[in-house]
Amino acid sequence: MADITILYSIIGAIITLIICFIIGTFLPGIERKYVQARIQQRIGPIVTAPGIMAPIKFSFKENLRPNSPAPGLYKALPIVSFLAVLLILLFLTPQMYPAYLLASIIAIVGLLKVEEVSYVLMGSLSKSVMSLSLKFPDIVKGAAHTSGIVRSHLEDISSKRSLRMITYGSFPLYLALFVPVVSAKSLYLSDIIKYQMANGPLLFTTQGILAAIVFFIGSVIVLNESPFNIIEAEADVIQGPYMEYIAGYRSVIYLSKGLLMFTLSALFTILFLGIPLDLLSWNFIVFVVVALIFTLFIGILNAFTPIFTNKQFYPVVIASTLLGVLAIVIGILI
Amino acid sequence: MIEEKIPKSQGELIETEISMGTVHPAALEPYRVRFFVQDEIIQEAEITIGVNHRGVERIMEGLPVEKANALTEKICGICSNCHTWNSVMVAEKGLNIDVPERANYIRVIMGELERLHSHLLYLAHGNEVLGHETFAMRIFYIRETVMELLNMIGGNRVQYGVSVIGGVRPRCQLDDMRVQRLNEGMDKLEKDLTKFTDRFTSDPIVNSRIEGIGILPPKQAKKLGVTGPSLRACGFDYDLRTEMKEYDDFDFNVAVLDGCDVKSNLLLRVLECFESIKIIRQAVRNLPSGPITNRNWEMYDCKAIKHYIEVPRGILYDSYAIEDGRIRSSIIRTPSMTNIGAMQYAAIGNQITDGQLCIVQCDPCFTCTDRTFEIIEL
Amino acid sequence: MSLKSYSRSKAIHIMLVYTGGCNGCDIEIVNSVLSPKIDIEQYNIFLTWNPREADILVVTGPVTYQNKAPLLRIYDAIPEPKIVVAAGSCALMGGVYKNIHGDIPSEEIMGPVDNVIPVDAKVPGCAVRPQDLLAGVVSVLPKLLEAD
Repeated sequence: MADITILYSIIGAIITLIICFIIGTFLPGIERKYVQARIQQRIGPIVTAPGIMAPIKFSFKENLRPNSPAPGLYKALPIVSFLAVLLILLFLTPQMYPAYLLASIIAIVGLLKVEEVSYVLMGSLSKSVMSLSLKFPDIVKGAAHTSGIVRSHLEDISSKRSLRMITYGSFPLYLALFVPVVSAKSLYLSDIIKYQMANGPLLFTTQGILAAIVFFIGSVIVLNESPFNIIEAEADVIQGPYMEYIAGYRSVIYLSKGLLMFTLSALFTILFLGIPLDLLSWNFIVFVVVALIFTLFIGILNAFTPIFTNKQFYPVVIASTLLGVLAIVIGILI
Repeated sequence: MIEEKIPKSQGELIETEISMGTVHPAALEPYRVRFFVQDEIIQEAEITIGVNHRGVERIMEGLPVEKANALTEKICGICSNCHTWNSVMVAEKGLNIDVPERANYIRVIMGELERLHSHLLYLAHGNEVLGHETFAMRIFYIRETVMELLNMIGGNRVQYGVSVIGGVRPRCQLDDMRVQRLNEGMDKLEKDLTKFTDRFTSDPIVNSRIEGIGILPPKQAKKLGVTGPSLRACGFDYDLRTEMKEYDDFDFNVAVLDGCDVKSNLLLRVLECFESIKIIRQAVRNLPSGPITNRNWEMYDCKAIKHYIEVPRGILYDSYAIEDGRIRSSIIRTPSMTNIGAMQYAAIGNQITDGQLCIVQCDPCFTCTDRTFEIIEL
Repeated sequence: MSLKSYSRSKAIHIMLVYTGGCNGCDIEIVNSVLSPKIDIEQYNIFLTWNPREADILVVTGPVTYQNKAPLLRIYDAIPEPKIVVAAGSCALMGGVYKNIHGDIPSEEIMGPVDNVIPVDAKVPGCAVRPQDLLAGVVSVLPKLLEAD
């Protein structure tokens, strides 16, 4: 009897993952066509182009060797980060609640960290032809500083900036993740959901609204969307850590963006609205609606702001950190 | 503001070098720039031109004068009309040819339309380097009005070929329908540009991105020979159009700001756009009647003739000698030559993200400038 | 239509390389991408600056001496299947720099793009019009879709 239940729960978890993945592939297209293109007053591409058609097309291209000192590690990194995001989504399903520590905030924070650290490694291992490897006569008679200087590629700037994003930029999201923990007095997702089913959704309390704003800013930083996309600023480092990915590996990168968008919005629904990720109940529609609203807000923020440099980045992060701390303090006191 | 920006000398230790290549999204034309960086602050910058060198002055040696005037148009795609205008005026000055009044007014209208299109392109490109795609698309949309007017008068959106020796081409005659279209175009452009400027200057995030970036101290700007709007953004009131006799009949103000940074450069060019609209309206209202081409002139030999005009980027200098109906020893010196050199100093002290913005702020036109020989020894 | 050619027709990435010349063609091409009036994104064509991501390479300008080696490096970095579009009269036959037949020819022009890399489509014009460029790209698409 227990075997059949375990079998049914495994199948349930896998089907939930597949359906969430498919919904996630539509989100970049919706952001590009229905939000950004409408604001810029033009017709955009079709809805499936950035999220579904582009990865499929990339998988049919020729597999060249990337220009990197450690190609094996470089090619494995996007798969590792995709699996990390997929595991977060797996641990959010109700079938995983019996596995105690895996369905808690600790596991989610740890896996997000894996996803962020991969940018640092990608940036330092990518040596693209668009910066230093171009055969241009730089070291010639009359040039400045011809000896005794370290010449680095554009992607090295990206990896230094990713370190700064990890150090400062992850504060908002992690602080917002701890506000429900403080209210429900437990680290496990099942307890947080039970608390909200008894006392009403956390979004409608004071600390909930503050934490929701901080969660939104933190998720834009984790997604590397404009205005926080200094890692992949097109006017500067062209594409940053992703420069040398070809064929199948590039399609993994495109797919993981949509998946990350859906995962963050699912996390928001579970932690602040208290609805479990159950495919068979009508509450699943709330997940889809929250994902669409999330995409709408990210698209609007993307279309109306330039890229933030240090001068604008630090004040925003400090302000949202203070808001997060305030929300935690209110949660402890009430 | 500091007095003078000095780069670090050869012997001192600099942490790392970042090079941005010939093909780069922030660069509209091919050039190579090396930033010498310490702690993400630029200590020195080195810009290499000569990538675009096609040998135009060498080709022009021995060409008939009319053919050479047609070749000067293809030197640059953005500032094409001003090269032709200057080159034609060199021949008219040397051969003492009178230009009819109506032709002069049409040349001024084309010159100001070109200034409009060039400044709008600069604004759109600057916004794209900032990362703001929405504003860039909005400006490209506003710019379409100007491109259609240029297409109507000249016959092509880029490289219109309006000036010939003795006047303008017969195709560029302004009749009633074209005059009406010009007036409508100017009204629409003024309305759109005002709305956009209000939106742009009241945006706090964009303002914090462009204030205080890429400062070039005024004393150093004068020493390095910067001309044009970049000099007027440093507080100096110098515009060659107030001394040109072609602009004697027109009444306009010279815009001057004194911030010396990216924001002053952007705002100054917007103010100049409004002045250009004013000049075009005056020209269309007071258009004199008469012929537009003067074909009664004869060719004889002249020694080297020089001429200067004010183009959207500064002061352009052209000189050649005429021998037996052909050109000898032509020299063209564009304003971007000194402006680009000055930007190597303006980039010092900023972050790498703002590095390309500091170079783009002087509106460089590398294709105009690449006319020097460079001998390389590896 | 197989999945391969269907997906290739719905997501096309274009890269622009300028190799000298007067840059009038580049302004018009960037204009066609970024201007809401022309907007080639509605045909599912995206602009990219990374050769590893591109399918179509649009080359403008006569290839000058310093630009020849970068053009070859960028062409080699693009994975198959790829097509090359030469836009503008400078890229087709050297433009006015090679054909004005003065007394002294220029030594800096390495010739039209044909001399350096193989070209699949040629779009004339000085400067090339955005509508013509789009027609040129679309006309050579079947070669991209049917490649293995």
